Amino acid sequence: MTFGWLILRNTLRRPVRLALTVWGLAMVVLAFGLIRLTLDEWQGAAKAASKNRLITVHSMSGALPLPVAYKDRIAVLPGVRSVHHGVEFGGVYKDPKQPLASFAEPAATLLTTYPEILLSEGERLAFVQDRRGCIVGLSLAERYGWKLGDVIPLTGTIYPGQWEVTVRGIYRSSNVMIWSDQELFLQWDYLNEQVKTTQPDRADQVSWYTIATEETSNPRAVALAIDALFANSFAETRTELEQAFIAGWLERSSTLLYGLEAVSGVINGIALLVLMNALAMAVRERTREYAVIKTLGFQPRHFCVLVLGESLLLAFCGGALGLGLLLPASRLYAQLTQSNGYVPPYAVSLETVGLCLGMMIVVAFGAALWPVIRLIRMTTLDGLRHAG
Amino acid sequence: MYDPVVTLQRISKAYVRAGTEVSVLRDLSFTIPAGTFLAIMGPSGSGKSTLLNVMAGIDRPTSGSVVVAGTRLDDLSEGDMARWRARHIGYVFQSYNLIPVLTASENVELPLLLTHLSRQERREHVRTALRLVGLGERMDHYPRQLSGGQEQRVGLARAIVSDPTMILADEPTGNLDRESAEDILTLFGRLNRELGKTIVMVTHDPRAAERAQMIRHLEKGVLESPP
Repeated sequence: MTFGWLILRNTLRRPVRLALTVWGLAMVVLAFGLIRLTLDEWQGAAKAASKNRLITVHSMSGALPLPVAYKDRIAVLPGVRSVHHGVEFGGVYKDPKQPLASFAEPAATLLTTYPEILLSEGERLAFVQDRRGCIVGLSLAERYGWKLGDVIPLTGTIYPGQWEVTVRGIYRSSNVMIWSDQELFLQWDYLNEQVKTTQPDRADQVSWYTIATEETSNPRAVALAIDALFANSFAETRTELEQAFIAGWLERSSTLLYGLEAVSGVINGIALLVLMNALAMAVRERTREYAVIKTLGFQPRHFCVLVLGESLLLAFCGGALGLGLLLPASRLYAQLTQSNGYVPPYAVSLETVGLCLGMMIVVAFGAALWPVIRLIRMTTLDGLRHAG
Repeated sequence: MYDPVVTLQRISKAYVRAGTEVSVLRDLSFTIPAGTFLAIMGPSGSGKSTLLNVMAGIDRPTSGSVVVAGTRLDDLSEGDMARWRARHIGYVFQSYNLIPVLTASENVELPLLLTHLSRQERREHVRTALRLVGLGERMDHYPRQLSGGQEQRVGLARAIVSDPTMILADEPTGNLDRESAEDILTLFGRLNRELGKTIVMVTHDPRAAERAQMIRHLEKGVLESPP
């Protein structure tokens, strides 16, 4: 027999209570994990964004258009490697309640500006050469069963009308945090050509520019130069690093994020209470036994080992079960919170696993503290008199 | 070898209950020579168990000095007292106090977890102790699978497994039938005669006390003079 065996036998003593405690902790870890997943998704995009890409939008609001003519003027600025632009298309495929994350952008610059898009050479070429072509992310293609060459009928919401695009490529993403594989990209030239005939006042306009800067240039200086170029014009610009742009977008959701952070803190507290309650009951029931082993010569450090060991074992079992459930739950969660590509798919990161386990360790120590202090303070005689 | 094993000098113990001081032991002095099997008798409330607990370092006297196995106990901290107890005291409880989720051999092994013995050595010690009390065949039984007499024998094996200087027993036959009580008392006798163990047994049963070499009576916290 070892101390480990003694801890195990004590832990297994009340199977129903053990199951309820472990299950309770697992639910807490699951809830904590799902909240961390959400926070990771929101904050991860900003962390993963490129430091050499700038986003230029209208200075008044990102919803206001900029003229496409700005492209050539930006392109000649020092430090600019390439200029890309795009608009949100908002196409609906079958289900009007779930518009696709779809964008109209020039094919050639899209593929050079965003190396996160992984396509075969053949697919790249086919997309660039087909004005009515489109590329779709792998997850999106799998969801709708699309294959290369399929013609997809879309109903425009932002650009009303019926549109047909042909799948010329199915891309993978090298980094789903910054580039979702649930999006559809059609050619901006095709869209603009149609808009010229149906809504001429909306033609030759873009929602944003993405500027790739030279490695040797200072992106902030380039951003200042762009905004200075269009100062006092009818459409002034606001240019930011991609990271800052995404962070600013997140900032607008900060109340929600702070709320989630607070909830995850409350969840830690619940885990502490669940475990503390179970341990307190167990130690109270065994007061007399602890007094007996104190009579045999067990010292305060031995009680620390026994109670903390039991606490850690319970927390570990709860944490492991919770993490085991987190994987399938995260997939279900992703389905239930289906964003059609606007938010990348939820993925359980090592950081989340580490946080959950870390939380359990902290909770285990916290929960063991009071029972250990009680046992150390308890005199042997009082313990032996305990009627428990 | 410590001789005397126990030296009590002017021991007094008083509790305060409901604002009133209750004196349990009164100015008590005596020694116990090594290798003695002593029975302490007395009616309920006479202070027998308190005296035993003072000798075991479980309770502290209000005044006086306690020297057991060469160590003055009133100077020791709780931690040091526990360490000392592990080395020198084997304690037998009236209600056995076995851990219900551990087998007989695991219960006996408990005190050995505090030693530096290897797992194999611990197993050997446990086997020897259980054979000595006649339970070599019941090593893997849980307390609920044993009779009261067998549980007490496990308790006795647990008390002797670490080869303590002294065995203290608080009403060890109090919960047993006559036959089981006889078995336990016979074991105490053997431990005393064959292994030279010093045994102090508190009992209110005259037939149990007769098995000891010496009997001392405690009355209202005062030891009566030996005949």
